[in-house]
Amino acid sequence: MIARQSTKTQLTRPNYLRTCGISTECSTRRVLDTKNVTVNAMVSFANHTPKPAAHSRINNLTVAVKDNICAANLPTTCSSSMLRAFTPPFDATVVELLKNAGADIVGKTNCDEFGMGSLNVNSIHGPVINPFKTSEGRSAGGSSGGSAAAVAAGICDAALGTDTGGSVRLPASYCGVVGLKPSYGLISRWGVISYADSLDCVGVFGKNVDIVNDIFNTVSVFDSKDPTSATAEIRMKADASIRHSLPHFDENQAEPNLSALRIGIPQESPPHSTSPEYFPTELDSTILDSLRRVIKRLQNLGATIVPVSLPSTPYALSAYYVIASAEASSNLARYDGIQYGRHVPLPVGADKTKPAAVYAYSRSAGFGNEVRKRLLLGTYALSADAFDNYFLQAQRVRKLIRSDFNAIFRAPDVLSSLSALAAPTDGVDALLHPSAIQSAPLLPPPKRSQANADDNKPTSAGSGLDTYLQDILTVPASLAGLPALSVPAGSAADGWPVGVSVVGQWGCDDLVLRMGRVIEKGSA
Amino acid sequence: MLVQRNLCRSRQFQLLWRSFNSHNIRGLREATQDKRWPGWEVVVGIEVHAQIKSRKKLFSDALTSRPGDPPNTFVSQFDAAFPGTLPKLNQKCVDLAIRAALALESYVQTRSTFDRKHYFYPDLPAGYQITQRYAPLAKGGYLTLSKHGIPVRIIQIQLEQDTAKSTFDARRRESHIDLNRAGSGLMEIVSEPDLRSPEEAGDYIRSLQALLRSVGSSDGNMEQGSLRCDVNVSVNRYGEPPGTRCEIKNLNSAKFAMIAITSEVFRHIELLDSGIPVPQETRGFNEDKAETFKLRSKEDAPDYRYMPDPNIPPLLLTESYIESIRQTMPELPDAQRARLITLGLSPRDADVLMTVDAGREVGFDGEPGKGAVAYFDELAQGRDPKLVVNWMTHDLLGQLSARKETFGDNPVSVLQLGELIDMVQDGKITGTSGKTILRHMISHPSDLSPSALVQELSLGALASDDSLSLRTWCAEAIEVHPDVADAIRKGNPRVLNRLVGSVMQRSRGRADAQTVRATLEAMLTNDH
Repeated sequence: MIARQSTKTQLTRPNYLRTCGISTECSTRRVLDTKNVTVNAMVSFANHTPKPAAHSRINNLTVAVKDNICAANLPTTCSSSMLRAFTPPFDATVVELLKNAGADIVGKTNCDEFGMGSLNVNSIHGPVINPFKTSEGRSAGGSSGGSAAAVAAGICDAALGTDTGGSVRLPASYCGVVGLKPSYGLISRWGVISYADSLDCVGVFGKNVDIVNDIFNTVSVFDSKDPTSATAEIRMKADASIRHSLPHFDENQAEPNLSALRIGIPQESPPHSTSPEYFPTELDSTILDSLRRVIKRLQNLGATIVPVSLPSTPYALSAYYVIASAEASSNLARYDGIQYGRHVPLPVGADKTKPAAVYAYSRSAGFGNEVRKRLLLGTYALSADAFDNYFLQAQRVRKLIRSDFNAIFRAPDVLSSLSALAAPTDGVDALLHPSAIQSAPLLPPPKRSQANADDNKPTSAGSGLDTYLQDILTVPASLAGLPALSVPAGSAADGWPVGVSVVGQWGCDDLVLRMGRVIEKGSA
Repeated sequence: MLVQRNLCRSRQFQLLWRSFNSHNIRGLREATQDKRWPGWEVVVGIEVHAQIKSRKKLFSDALTSRPGDPPNTFVSQFDAAFPGTLPKLNQKCVDLAIRAALALESYVQTRSTFDRKHYFYPDLPAGYQITQRYAPLAKGGYLTLSKHGIPVRIIQIQLEQDTAKSTFDARRRESHIDLNRAGSGLMEIVSEPDLRSPEEAGDYIRSLQALLRSVGSSDGNMEQGSLRCDVNVSVNRYGEPPGTRCEIKNLNSAKFAMIAITSEVFRHIELLDSGIPVPQETRGFNEDKAETFKLRSKEDAPDYRYMPDPNIPPLLLTESYIESIRQTMPELPDAQRARLITLGLSPRDADVLMTVDAGREVGFDGEPGKGAVAYFDELAQGRDPKLVVNWMTHDLLGQLSARKETFGDNPVSVLQLGELIDMVQDGKITGTSGKTILRHMISHPSDLSPSALVQELSLGALASDDSLSLRTWCAEAIEVHPDVADAIRKGNPRVLNRLVGSVMQRSRGRADAQTVRATLEAMLTNDH
């Protein structure tokens, strides 16, 4: 009976582990729960006995999964009141792949509602407290804040997050862990609850690049259930062209020879802007010091540092918010409170003549402020009068951003039939820029009521435009679908961790990870 | 052959070009007077939604359902719009829609895309319908009306998802949602406003239905809702610019479409006669009252917020792929009739076979249904087509209809009937025995070969040297009918047939009538 129970996946809420039977897993989970109390990274724990996979590199590795990725028999809330009671009937492909490789799925992690936010404060589970120094009450970043914090707090070896506009790289930087947003299409999105389909990527967090690499290699597989999944042919084509055009270096050496490597630093200032593309005026100057240290070291190892220009970057942020919000307004239309999710009974005398009027009660109650704000923006962007000026214009900007990147990378863009000819031979292999404009900001003071209550008063963080400005650094790679890795690179003046981001051409995830290892060694 | 195909292709281009050029020139057609509304011109265009006869739905692995199936039993997680699910295009649906496009001489685009059409309604669980707004599967083409002989231009053909079905239980005041139909594949086929009367509109719907059935794209069953129409109607005085059009939604039969158009025409004329302009509206049709009613005005038209679907990559089709569909699709009715007549069939026989075929079950995923023409073609392999068609129309279909059964109920395989025909041809059995065996095979369906049945029923033709049996039966016949025998002996040979019939009955059709006649004559002249 006990054996039978332990093989069955069971849900246990954090801090409420009394329902557990007597098993070693449960006592382990109890320890994890204790660790979680101060950081609030986990929102549910799984009592799941991993299937051993002796030859797997991730056998027995503990992995936490962001709460917008479906795992059968575990609630998947997206940190939304709308899905508070939703338990998906199936595993996401990523979860299935991890389980088959022997990983121990420890539970689900806190996040911003449906992935919308940069501070992990838009959550029905409350904010995640950055584990670096919980006493300071700083943000873990968002939207995958729980995943980054769970790794940083030692609750798990690795964690899955999702990255739509920076949601893996930013919390990785704030929490001092490694975070990879792979090339769009490499990891299946089947079972990943959509925020903006054309931008959403499953990302990986780990204490070090090796763990991230192992998890990434396990889940980076073609999946016929995801129509945007990169086919085996495209993967092979990318591998071949990369082997052909990219430099060799041995990242395993303590002091590898990087003389063949060309690294771009985006920095030229466009004529009508007062600050360089990836160095907005809001950038904390001490962040730059850690970037300079990394550049210096790479230069010492022989790498060529090249200033590069990405002239469309200033338009990236607006384009990103139009596209992401438009897709969100479409993807979240399914939450109407009819089949699943939160249903608010109609008040007496309510207008029942139009379905939209009936749904409005459930949708208004089920979505938090930030989600509602983006849904309204996205709905407007798709309306007949605004479509050309907003949605189509944003798509044009997106193309320009993609061609900006193609103009500087030495590796060709294998997704486009034309760019193979256009790839410059004197191009760069990767870009380097700060992951965030600052170290982890303070969490906004506790609100009067719950996290989702109406409250537009300015606070130290998470209000006004600051939270959006942060995304200036991360959205270009998202719009272009490129691999980007945030690696810890020392600390800012306040002693808190900061990360640098390595960005490569589409399909150059391996190169990005190998560079990450070199940077990691220098920062250790 | 290749050259011919290319010609075909370039013809498609020309048609497309012509249809674009003439887009603004209404009145391609000569004005005709209609007794019902003299002085008025009626202009009709039709949007048909035809369910694709695929085994699985357009973007999910769930099987397609029939209207009588228990509610919510043909539903995948994707169909129910569960979070985390993604669409996966069913190539079979694409292939069947290409067949329809080719049958309509429509130009199949080598690149088409999918878009989301948003609106909140309980029969749309995702809050949007996936359709092809910006780059449809095919453009241009035409359909020739089978009764009126008029070509009607097609604007475009697009793929889209069907919705779920919502019904209202008035007694309990509850809405019921059945997701069985949600996500099934539809072809939306839009015509130019080339139709000029309710009858032409009815002809268009029936002709399109027959065409879609013949290529296996859709079973076109209007009673079961697998073919539905939205009709655009406008009315103007002769020589005046076109009137304001009203759209009548969701008409479920050609007959209702005709009634709805007629009633709508009278409504427009009444308004115009009293000097009131016709407001642009979307209207419904009340079948009991035989009149249309307002659903919404132009001002209330919803903004569907079309957006390219970010999950579904563009549908890319190579010319050679489209050509391979053309090569493997069932032949079109006109071509089929011509071919059958070339084989030596009379136009009447060809029509009988094709009429039987028209009522056949359309197979899933374009698999050929058990049709009479296919049966004939297989049976005629190595046999005389005329002989084969006689067996089929006179004997097989005749006996089936005597049993009040259709060709779909036919239990006799091509192999069985073929062997039976061969046995009769080779003289192993008589034609009479052949018909007996066929009747037996229909009433006692089995896998037994006709030769085994001949054994079982002892119906083998009498061997020519088996004179003893023959003489015995003849003697018996003479003995039983002494008066007939006497009449013959007295020189009245006309009654001989009665004795022949009696012998044939005794032989159960196995004896050869000529031999019987000769034997009887010999016996009656010799026994003096």
